[in-house]
Amino acid sequence: MTIVISALQYLGYVLIFPGFLFCFLAGMLLCGIDRKLVAKMQKRVGPPVLQPFYDFFKLCGKETIVPASASKTTFLMAPLVGLAALVVIQLFIPVFSFSAFSGMADVIVILYLLLIPAMSVILGGAASGSPYAGVGLSREMVTIISCELPLVLVLLAVAKTVGSALGTGLCFSLSDIAAYQAMHGSLITKISMLPAAVAMLLIIPGETGNHPFDAAEAETEICEGLLAEYSGAPLGVYKLSHAIKMLTLTSLFVALFLGGLGTGFVALDGIILFLLCVVLTAVSISFVHAITARLKIEQIFKFYWTLVSGLALISLVLAWYGL
Amino acid sequence: MSPVINALSYQHFPIYAIMVLFLGAFLIAVFGRNRTARNVLALLSITASLAFILALIRPVMLGGEIIAYWLGGRVPAGGYAIGIALEVDALSLFFALIVAVAVFVSGVYSIQYMRHDDNEREYYTLFLMLAGGVMGLVLSGDLFNMFIMVEVLTFAAVALTAFRNTATGALEAAFKYLVVGCIGSTCILVGTAMLYAQAHTLNLAQLAQLLPGNLNTATKVAFALLFVGFGTKAFIVPFHPLAADAHGAAPASISVMISGVLTKSGIYGIIRLTYFLFQTMNLGTMQFLLVFVGSLSMFICVTMALAQHDFKRLLAFHSISQIGYVLTAVGLCTALGVSAGLYHAMNHTLFKGLLFLAAGAVLHETGTTDLGKLGGLSKKMPHTTVLFLIGAFSISGIPPFNGFASKWMVYQATYQKAVESGNIGFLLVTIIALVTSVLTLASFVKVSQSVFFGQLPKELEHVKEVSFGMRLAMGIFALLCILTGLFPGLVTSYITEPAARAVFSVAQYISAMGFDASGVAAESVVSFAHVGVWEPISWLLILCIALLAITIVAVASKYDNVSQRSGEAVDTKYELFYGGEAQEFSQVGGGDLFWGFKHNWRGYFDFMYRLHSGVVNDYALWAVVDLALVMLFSLIVL
Amino acid sequence: MILLNYIASFFLIALGLYTIVTKHNLVKTVIGLSIADYGANLLLISIGFNPGGTAPIYTWTELNPSSFFVDPIPQALTLTSIVIGACVTAMSLALVIKLEEQYGTTDTREIRRLRG
Repeated sequence: MTIVISALQYLGYVLIFPGFLFCFLAGMLLCGIDRKLVAKMQKRVGPPVLQPFYDFFKLCGKETIVPASASKTTFLMAPLVGLAALVVIQLFIPVFSFSAFSGMADVIVILYLLLIPAMSVILGGAASGSPYAGVGLSREMVTIISCELPLVLVLLAVAKTVGSALGTGLCFSLSDIAAYQAMHGSLITKISMLPAAVAMLLIIPGETGNHPFDAAEAETEICEGLLAEYSGAPLGVYKLSHAIKMLTLTSLFVALFLGGLGTGFVALDGIILFLLCVVLTAVSISFVHAITARLKIEQIFKFYWTLVSGLALISLVLAWYGL
Repeated sequence: MSPVINALSYQHFPIYAIMVLFLGAFLIAVFGRNRTARNVLALLSITASLAFILALIRPVMLGGEIIAYWLGGRVPAGGYAIGIALEVDALSLFFALIVAVAVFVSGVYSIQYMRHDDNEREYYTLFLMLAGGVMGLVLSGDLFNMFIMVEVLTFAAVALTAFRNTATGALEAAFKYLVVGCIGSTCILVGTAMLYAQAHTLNLAQLAQLLPGNLNTATKVAFALLFVGFGTKAFIVPFHPLAADAHGAAPASISVMISGVLTKSGIYGIIRLTYFLFQTMNLGTMQFLLVFVGSLSMFICVTMALAQHDFKRLLAFHSISQIGYVLTAVGLCTALGVSAGLYHAMNHTLFKGLLFLAAGAVLHETGTTDLGKLGGLSKKMPHTTVLFLIGAFSISGIPPFNGFASKWMVYQATYQKAVESGNIGFLLVTIIALVTSVLTLASFVKVSQSVFFGQLPKELEHVKEVSFGMRLAMGIFALLCILTGLFPGLVTSYITEPAARAVFSVAQYISAMGFDASGVAAESVVSFAHVGVWEPISWLLILCIALLAITIVAVASKYDNVSQRSGEAVDTKYELFYGGEAQEFSQVGGGDLFWGFKHNWRGYFDFMYRLHSGVVNDYALWAVVDLALVMLFSLIVL
Repeated sequence: MILLNYIASFFLIALGLYTIVTKHNLVKTVIGLSIADYGANLLLISIGFNPGGTAPIYTWTELNPSSFFVDPIPQALTLTSIVIGACVTAMSLALVIKLEEQYGTTDTREIRRLRG
């Protein structure tokens, strides 16, 4: 009987909170809030906050056209695999003190799991057989390479700080990092973690592929690159994945740096997490979107591997020498 | 009655495993004109060898026994070894297992792959000699025996590289491999001679008893010579251009052998040298040597791979990059490090074998491996595409395949070492390893796009799927990749951990041969507790549930309500965007899939391109300079 | 006298390596490889020398505690190594012949289609 109950409980985690339903609602809301904020900053009215929901349901009703030169199975399955992988990553990130499955994964696993949604977009684009997709996937891959180094440095810096405080020397587990912050206060209050936090804020728009780092999906140059041949429900699923990725990365930031702000109650923690994600989206995604122009692909690479990595490296060195 | 039972006892299995391969080679040379006889003999000998090795797993790995076998029954007299010995402990059996599996799958693949070549008899003879040579190397307990086996396998590998001598660059690659490979073999010979001069024995166990603590100039120079010699076989950093040339030019089944088996024999030699013969790995400077060479190999080879135009050459550079991972992990001298390194060595044979076999399938059907001329093959060769993608995900370290499990252990090991020793250099190694992993992924995305996706050129319209035998061989490797990725706990506790324990139990190695091991440090108490937790089964279960839920929703809402557009003529003016490389005649750089990355690093790439000039004298110069540097290093440090 | 052997063997090995590195003709490279092998053989055979010892060939009746032989093991190793050296030379010369047929030249600076 208890097996049935815990199976139902885990099913609830996967499907409702912090799984599929939560990701869907919160991710799309974040996306809508982001567009509204950008419009306000640019002195426009902008679309309603619920616009992504309207877009998604409208796309689901449209016809899907598969190009003749595409491999049909990969073309249709890739968005679904990407969405499933993103939902699973969200399950592994603790919501302050509540962790559904996060005992099973640590930061390095999350780092690698984040590659799977990116790979699904790339494979979907490659399978479509279009030349725009070819250029788009090369830019997407270079963007991933660029974001990987500073992300690694930030994660190592956090792991080292928590590890040396706990005495074990290294601590890769996210639930341990959350527990440490619940007792000792958020990591962002430490001076040595501040450069890492700024670096992470700059990594978030790069990983999600938002402006100004969206060379991979440049509407004006390569007709949305990877998604050029997509239409109908698969396109809706990709837009949904994009929105959920925003949620995942901002909640990762909260889990790493702002972990001490939770209460003990799961429902309240969920709402606090969502509000913090909104604030982070406003700061790192919307604000940067509104005031910059799109960067060229080699500028993106240089930016991440010099400036952002430099910031993260400062944090890592400070954490290493115990300051 | 009793001689028959004695002949079947598992004590004899190591020598049977070696002899059945050489016997097969000899019989094929004599009877091989008939195709059926040839195929039957080859399959029989590789299956028999695999069976003997598998039968040894129970006593040696699970039972912890070390088989000490004196050829001809010549046991030591007066405390000195007078005969040739085979000594099989868990480390030797681990490498023998990798060799036997790779030989088996490569042999099955060769039957279909080499069907259209003439001189098949010579091919199988050389192939079985290569297999026998490597098997003899990893199972032998005598230093000169190892030298002989190294020579046998070098010859066979060179001859097989030049096998299709009308292929582009085959003869050239074979000549360069022969020259630098023989420089390496000469180094091993001179090193062996100097060790014999000092210790008057060639037996590995006895040398392990006599050498540590008694190092003089001659033995230090011998260390440098042996290290460089085995490094030549493993193709680590200054010798990596040979790997690129040899793998690129050899037939695909031989590329599997060279990259999966020969490189491991070099790593095996280095482990025996540093951990057993000289027992100097607890010195920080010795760890620095291995970790430095490994990190250089990792990084240089993955960046060189991004600039390649040829499919197999690119795979070869990636091969050496992964060997860099293995060497770095083994050089850490911690339990987790050695365990991770050995696990990655096994995984590397599996996924690299799969990738080379897929490349061979593409070459067999289309006749070219130039990335610019291939494209869109996923529609014509769907099974090969799926198998290739499994291999590509494995090497990039995407969960749940086996590359992720072993790379994750490598990162844990380097980070743990960084924290334990307080040395920030190991942290740099962790960062290099992580960045190399994502560059590997980038490179395989490019290859997938250039070869399998994109548009099908007109010349390749006739391509069909490869025959069942070749797909079976690739399928075996893919299945093993998935299995070793899904059950890392089982693999670690039954296969890699006994081998890693054997690396640290030198005293048992010596006493199993009957020598006195009292002077040697007892089995060092190393903790094998793992640092983190990775349960692929649970993760996969969650992913499947999520995917199922989403697919149900998708199908219910008519997700696949598709209408197919009618096909149109292939437009050749977009062809330059499918090649994945910058084409020479076009000023649009967008065809080059990594323009953004290469542009920022253009100084480095130009320098590397000029440095790898292709002239055999330059490669020999690197070998000599490396020898001089390692000699200087060992004289100062040891 | 034995020291002279050691010096000569290392000189031969160094000479062989120098030839491989600097000479641009394929055949000269092969000769350099052989010279290095001969140097290694000389080293091997010199190691086993015991001053005043006789050849290690005996019948059972001649064997007594005062027999003094040179070491037979390096002699066996040297024989093996000579055979290996001959095989290396044979294979490399075969490759040189076919290379000259295919590329039309024996200059190593011209034979570099695989590079980069």
